[in-house]
Parts: sequence; C-alpha cells; structure tokens
Amino acid sequence: MLSYNFKYELKLLLRSRWIQLLSIVLLLLFGFSVYNGMQKVEKRQNDIAAAQQEVKENDAMMLKLLDSVERGMEVSASPWTIPTSPMAVGNYHPRVAAMETQSMSFVSTGQADLFTHYVKPTVAGDDFALNFAEMTSPVQLLFGSFDLAFVIIYLLPLLIIAFSYNVLSSEKESGSLRLLAAQPIGIQNWVLQKLGLRFFWLSVLVIAALIIVFLSLGLNPFAGTTLFFGLLGLILVYMLFWFALAFLVNLWVGSSAKNAVAMLGLWVVFVLLVPSVLNQLGNTIYPMPSRTLMINEMRSLKAEVTKKQDEILDNFLRDHPEYALNDTTQSRGFYHRYMASQKLVKEELSPVVNAYEEQLQKQQHWIGRFKWISPAIIAQESLNHMAGTSTQDYENFRKQVIAFAGTWREHFMPFLYNNQNFSQKDYPNLPSFTYIQKSQSRLSAILLLLGMAIGLFGLGFLVSKKGKHVSILNQG
Amino acid sequence: MIITNNLTKQYGGNTALDHLNLEVKEGEIYCLLGANGAGKTTTINLLLGFIPPSSGSAFINQLDVQENSKATKQFLAYIPENLMLYPNLTALENLDYFSGIAGKTLSKSDLKIVLEEAGLEQEAFENRISTFSKGMRQKVGIAIALAKDAKVLLLDEPTSGLDPKASNEFGLLLQKLRSKGVATLMATHDLFRAKEVATHIGIMKDGQLKQQFVADAISLPELEKAYLNTMEYKELVP
Repeated sequence: MLSYNFKYELKLLLRSRWIQLLSIVLLLLFGFSVYNGMQKVEKRQNDIAAAQQEVKENDAMMLKLLDSVERGMEVSASPWTIPTSPMAVGNYHPRVAAMETQSMSFVSTGQADLFTHYVKPTVAGDDFALNFAEMTSPVQLLFGSFDLAFVIIYLLPLLIIAFSYNVLSSEKESGSLRLLAAQPIGIQNWVLQKLGLRFFWLSVLVIAALIIVFLSLGLNPFAGTTLFFGLLGLILVYMLFWFALAFLVNLWVGSSAKNAVAMLGLWVVFVLLVPSVLNQLGNTIYPMPSRTLMINEMRSLKAEVTKKQDEILDNFLRDHPEYALNDTTQSRGFYHRYMASQKLVKEELSPVVNAYEEQLQKQQHWIGRFKWISPAIIAQESLNHMAGTSTQDYENFRKQVIAFAGTWREHFMPFLYNNQNFSQKDYPNLPSFTYIQKSQSRLSAILLLLGMAIGLFGLGFLVSKKGKHVSILNQG
Repeated sequence: MIITNNLTKQYGGNTALDHLNLEVKEGEIYCLLGANGAGKTTTINLLLGFIPPSSGSAFINQLDVQENSKATKQFLAYIPENLMLYPNLTALENLDYFSGIAGKTLSKSDLKIVLEEAGLEQEAFENRISTFSKGMRQKVGIAIALAKDAKVLLLDEPTSGLDPKASNEFGLLLQKLRSKGVATLMATHDLFRAKEVATHIGIMKDGQLKQQFVADAISLPELEKAYLNTMEYKELVP
C-alpha cells in the first residue's frame, strides 16, 4: 500500500496545486523572515561596531593627551578628564562589553529587542547592571518579531493544519472512503501513510526552501553544519508533532469543519493559551519585586553611605594596608572615599538584588518545569538558544559583564590608592571584554517533541481501535 | 460465496435488518429489491464489515466477515450508487491505485486490457475521472473488480441515474462477470434491470426478506405485481 500511496499522493498534491502553493508560501515566509532577522542582526552588529569605533577614537585622543602631558605640555581639557588620573580613564574611557551576534542570531529575535547588546562599565557605580534585569517572565517575551522562529512556531502549524485537517474527512465527504474501506487495508494505517507522506513532502519543501533562502541571502547553511542540522531537526520534529495531532483529530473527530475547528482550537491552546497561562501563573506564584522600590532603596543607601565616607575610607584602608604602605603622600581625595564606599554599597545592596534575582530564577524555573505542556514553548526556547537570544544567554551576558566591571574597577584601585598616575605604557594592560557564548544542546528539545509526537500517534491508534466502526461511513 | 445467517442490525429501537438469511452461490446474481429503508444498503454495509451486526453472522467465501474483515475484502469488490474515484487521477491511475492497495500489481498494458474488458473506450483511459460520466465511472468500478479478481461483487443501486444505454452496458458487464463465476449481490429499485440480469431476486420490506424468486421462473409483470403486493401498494396493482 505504501508504494502506491507514495506514488499517487505526490501526483494528487501536484495536480491539486498544493505543492506549488506551499513552495511559494514557504519561500515567501522564509525569505521575508530571514531577511528581517538579518536586518536586526546587522543593526545590532552596527551598534556594537559604532560603540567600539567610538572607544577607539576616544582612546586615540586619550593617548594623544597622555603623550602631551608626559612631554610636559599644557593640555586644554578639564582637569578631572585628563587621563593621567586613573579614575578619568576608568570613567571616561570605558571598554565596550558587547554580546556579539552568533551565526544563527537571525533565526530568532528572542529577547534581543528587549535587552541591550553592549554596555560600558565604568569604575564608578554599577547602575548599568539594572539594564539587564527585566521584570518580565521569559514566556511573555518569547514571541514578537516576524523572524524565522515566528514563522516556524506560529505559521508553519497553520500550514500543516490546512494541509492535513481533512485527509480522512474529505474522503468521507466525497464518498471515496466507501471504496477505500472496501479494500483489504486498515483505514488508520492508510491515514497514517497519507499524513506520513504529506509530512515527508512538506519536510522536503521546508528544507529546500530554507536552503534556497539561505543561499540567496548570502548565508551558507553548511558553514555551521551542526547548527543547521540542529535547526532542521527541530523544525521537523515540531512539524511531526502537528501531523501527529492531525492524525489524532482525523481519526477522532469527523467532518472537515469539525476537524478544522478542533485543529485551530488546539493551535490556540498550544501556541497562545498555554504560554500565556504559564506566564500569568508564574507572575502570580512568584511575583517580582518592584523595580522602582529597588532603585529607591539603592539611592537612599548611597546617600546614607556618602555621609559616612571618611569613616568608610578608614575602614577600607584598614582592610587594605598595602595601599596605605605604598603611598607616601597619603593624599586622599573624593575618589578614594567614593570607591571605598562603593564596596560597602554593593554589600548592603546584595540582599535586595539577590532577592530580585532569586525571584526571577524561581519564576523561570517554574515555567521551565511546565514548558513541556506546549511544544511551541519548547521549540521557541530551543530556537532562542540557537540564536543566542534566550533569557539564559542574556543572563549569562549580564554575569560576564558584572564580572568584567569588577575586573575593570579592580584594575584601577592600585593606581588610585597608591596615588599613581596612568601613563601611555599602562594602556596596553587595560582589561578588555570578550563575550563567551554558552552552547546549549537542542537534543533534549528534539527528543521531547519526538516523544510527544509518538505519544499522539499511539493515542490515535488506540482511539481508532476502540472505535473500530465509528463514522467510517455515512450510514446508508 | 455469500451467506447470511439470521443477520440482524438494530439502531436503538429500530430494526434495520431482521434475521436475514440468504445465500448467493458462485456465478449467481442476486438482486435485492425494496423501497428506501427496506434494509438493502444495511445488508451490503454488514457484508462489507462497515458496521457490526446486532446478531447473526455473515460469511464471504466461508470467512466470517466480523472476524476476518480484512481477509474477506480480498475476495470482494464493491460499487456504490455513486462511485467516487479520485477526480484528479486518470482512469488508468485510479485503477492502478485501487488494485495496487488491494495487493494486485498490474503492468500498464494489463491495466489497459482490464479497462477495455470493463467496456471503457480507449481514448478515455488517460483522461481524468473529473471528466467522466457516472456510467464511465461505474465501468472503472467494474475494472477494479476485474483487476482484483474478485469472487464476490456487492453493488448498491449501481444503475440508478444511468441512461438506458449505460444501464444496458452495465447489465452486460455483470453477465460477463457471472460467466467468470463471480457471485453478485445487487441492491436496486430497478425491477426491469433486476429481471434482466438476476438469477435470483429477493424483495425486502422493513428489514425483512419477504419473498424470493428464481428469476427465470417469474415474468416481469408477475415480479412487478409481487413487488407492489409486498410493498402494500394495493391501488397500483394491475
């Protein structure tokens, strides 16, 4: 039976113009979404490049100033910005801590339109760290841009629904099911083969369309073979889930109209409702602390600390005798007091910041525990990981930037407390930031979706076995 | 070839078929006559295994239909009132598909021979079914039965809506199949065609087989009278 279904299904799909229609639709959707994604990636790259260029120009200026000062020349710049002061370098010549794009960043915007991709941590203050900590649940932020992920998660299931909802019911309604059912075949096997073949042909079209779009937009899909095959694997199992659902609905429901309503209802549930409900529940069970309150608390703490800066500096130097010993002048200015107080501010603030972070983590864990309810969440999360735009990626970036900010600050502490000037020879030793992407395997997502699809196929067979005679025919 | 033993089908409180006992042997054509709702189609659906019986049993080629649903379908061919094939496939392709999924692999030349044997004109072989008349579709149906080498043919009002020529051609095809030993059970309203093609005729009413005749032993007017009497259309009886 399979060889005959294989032979004639393609003929039927070609003659009913399904293949042609799907090819055009897929090429348009993939083409536009990949182009759109690439534009966003390009903008991000340009922003980072512009920031880095600005730093480069500032550095050139700084080196010129240092050279002039070191030659004993007079320079026309505000005294507090002259780079012989380590604090001037630390504050006015920060490095760019950038989250570089990944090779598949165009696939999914993910959280990219909500978080910044570069920051310039200075020695004074760590307000920049607030920029990373969005108060929203990841699921709420999952969808949005017309990118490849949107096409795959939202639109591809709709195409599959249109392509599969009436495989059995159309035969029943046209009357050909009676002739089919009079042959020595199992109707559920026949439906499975038809849907399997449609899955096969749609997969071929999807793969071909993706390769054509990638190549025509100047992307080499085979440059990162693992990533590309990972992307294909994920798309195929996600499609398989929807075909498995169509199998169940075809055997379970009945008329084409009811099947269509049932499939669209399931689409709404899995793609829209479940992510939204999980988000709402996550917010209710683990409500996030108020960001405004947190900022207010930071400000009042800073104000309080400022009043006691002399005392704090004494304590700081007691803790760091090396600075007291190496500095013969023992001249202490604003920055000595300020930097000493920063450590205290950080310590005092850590419970507030930690509480917020813990709550965010709890919320994300809770949502992560139930993500298997919706294949859309699993697929989207996996695509975000692939693109390097997931919540975890931004959290990872935030942690790396905070660590770098500490390194940057610590780099200038000996200069400051030893009252040592910054010079040209110190420039090459300035710390720089390199973002390290943590790779995440897509295998678990692929296996989970595959398991869900197999489960649905199994359920379909169970349903059809139980209701052996149910509605194969319109009774005569 | 076809045997029913007290075959009964009930839907809730309604009895669609009531203890039907009939036998159609090799080379026989049994025509079931009756008004709408008499139980003719229910009999065919039960023989096809489309619906389970409430009681009794049905056998095709000595196999219980309920217990061997798939196996019995290897021996039978079925032509409903409106034979719906795939409109986007040609006659040859439809025949290839349906005989193929039934497990009969035929070459293109064999398929053409079968279509020719079923009376389809050669120029229609490569035409799509969407362009076919009902009579032409019924011929493809017969071709499927021929290709399948069916021992049993179940027909549900196959000549309804056919013009006299097409109906006559269909009758001739049935005789051809009969000569090959095919046992045919045909549900029909058409007394004239029944008298012409059948070896045996049964009249059904309210799910019961009321009368049976050997076709050669009864004339058409007698059959008509028997039918009208069974249906209790007294005012129409000549």
